[in-house]
Amino acid sequence: MANVKPAASATWSLPRVRSHPEAASPLMRWSVIVLFGVFTVVSLYPMIWLLTNSFKTDFDLFEASWALPEVWHWENYRRAWDFGIARYLINSVLVTTVSVSLTVTVSLMAAYALSRFRFRGQTAFLFFILGGLMLAPEVSLLPLFRILQQLGIYNTYLAMILPYVAFGIPFVTFLMRSYIMGLPRELEEAAYIDGAGPLGVLRNVIVPLSRPIIASAALIEAMRVWNEFMFALTFISSEDLKTLPIGIMSFVSALQTEWTVVMAALVLSALPMIVLFLATQRQYIEGLTAGAIKG
Amino acid sequence: MVSRMGRRTNLAPYLFLLPAVVLMLVFVYIPVIESFRFSLFKWNSFSPEWTWVGLGNYRKLLPDPIFWQSIGNNIWYAIISVAIQVFLALMLAALLESHAVGRRLSTFFRTSLFLPAVLAITIVGVTWQMLYRPDTGLINQVLHVVGLDSWTRAWLGEERTAIFSVIAVSQWQSLGYLMVLLIVAIRAVPRELYEAARIDGAGIWRQFRDVTVPGVRETTLVLVIITVVGAFKVFDVVWVMTAGGPNHASEVLGTFLYRTAFRDDEMGYASAIATMLFFITFALAAVQLWAGRSGKDA
Repeated sequence: MANVKPAASATWSLPRVRSHPEAASPLMRWSVIVLFGVFTVVSLYPMIWLLTNSFKTDFDLFEASWALPEVWHWENYRRAWDFGIARYLINSVLVTTVSVSLTVTVSLMAAYALSRFRFRGQTAFLFFILGGLMLAPEVSLLPLFRILQQLGIYNTYLAMILPYVAFGIPFVTFLMRSYIMGLPRELEEAAYIDGAGPLGVLRNVIVPLSRPIIASAALIEAMRVWNEFMFALTFISSEDLKTLPIGIMSFVSALQTEWTVVMAALVLSALPMIVLFLATQRQYIEGLTAGAIKG
Repeated sequence: MVSRMGRRTNLAPYLFLLPAVVLMLVFVYIPVIESFRFSLFKWNSFSPEWTWVGLGNYRKLLPDPIFWQSIGNNIWYAIISVAIQVFLALMLAALLESHAVGRRLSTFFRTSLFLPAVLAITIVGVTWQMLYRPDTGLINQVLHVVGLDSWTRAWLGEERTAIFSVIAVSQWQSLGYLMVLLIVAIRAVPRELYEAARIDGAGIWRQFRDVTVPGVRETTLVLVIITVVGAFKVFDVVWVMTAGGPNHASEVLGTFLYRTAFRDDEMGYASAIATMLFFITFALAAVQLWAGRSGKDA
């Protein structure tokens, strides 16, 4: 893709529909629209259903759940919020922020070492780190549970953060290593000549140049950690420390019969990620594909 | 430059690697090894003494019908997920990239299909539990309105439908995600190949078969393996929606392991399940590496 001719890239930037006349045949066009229309409805409708019903009373829900609410019961949201959703939100924000910052920092250092130095055992280190990609977290679950108890950090924020970081390192290091390997070396050479050490080069040259991949990796990790379920379920027992995915389970069992209040709570829990995704779509998808295609 | 750096900073790479290596050692690799050791004993979280049973846990596991029920459900998970999340997703990706609809519309479709992937699994699981509910759930309500009352059922409560109802939710959540990955792969296929095919008179279908499919072969292969490995690792959506029930009908290895460890408190037995899971996922990942390599040679 690097040596695309100017003429070709000019065509590329034209409205693409025009360069494919036969693709624009009305029959084809409308079939695709209908097909994707159906998929879009299936994809979005459960979320819309959740949203509209979260404003109803349980009684309305039994009647016809596809109808719009006749009266919008905002108090469902009030009740869901009062039930303590804020605490789960704060825990999730805290655990996600700390885990992602640590994962990115540790992985960037590892990726820098693996891509810019030659040293004894380099290949072994590479396999050691990337090997983590092949392991199912379930396999480590039980021993981790005991190790965390022995370290005295079971049922603390660290019981989530440290395993999240450890399991995040392989993928993020993999992403960053391939990115750094593609960076030109001239600036680093110049920095070394100016007397900078490896840490200075990492901080002043590599980090600024790696901003895009840092952002993508941070987003992917943030979504993974925010949504993580199994470790949070197993390593946390206090209500005060639960993150959103586990907190929702407490909600559901406590509010058992108040379905529409549960729905309001689900909407409140879903909003942060949906907003973050819609705001950062491009970066997120670029990071994802960088990982998947090279994987 | 390498020699200069090598001389001046020979400790630097090790120091940079140290935090990653320590974290992975303590929280990833030691637990995996511990899991093997744990599986050779009979113990629970309260027992001060562990009883050495050798391979006893494995001898108990292999004839256990729940173990085979779980593997069977994992296999269903894998088959359906590959068909929908990889092959259907590939066709959808190719259609969106065929420019049959304008860019704005195709971006809208892409985003809409992707959106479920950003939701936490508990949100998805609980929402679908409600949609599946026999009385207030949308699915039965719709079936009732269109006159298909005989189709209504307790989707998650019946042994025959439970696992498939859960698998369907996973398809709903992940189809768009894989479609996006495949769209990017399709964009990496050289445009000239499509133009050449069109000059030869190839329509949409032949372009798909002769250009797109070979062009994204490697990505597709990787996604198949990731999906299959993922199908054997699945835990959260099943646990949230059915917890493996009713009567173990929707049990998968992940829920079987979790239940055995943290509900039944049979830690040694659970570790044996973990070890089996390790070998299954490891073998599948090894196939991935092997297939990836031979794919590049071809």
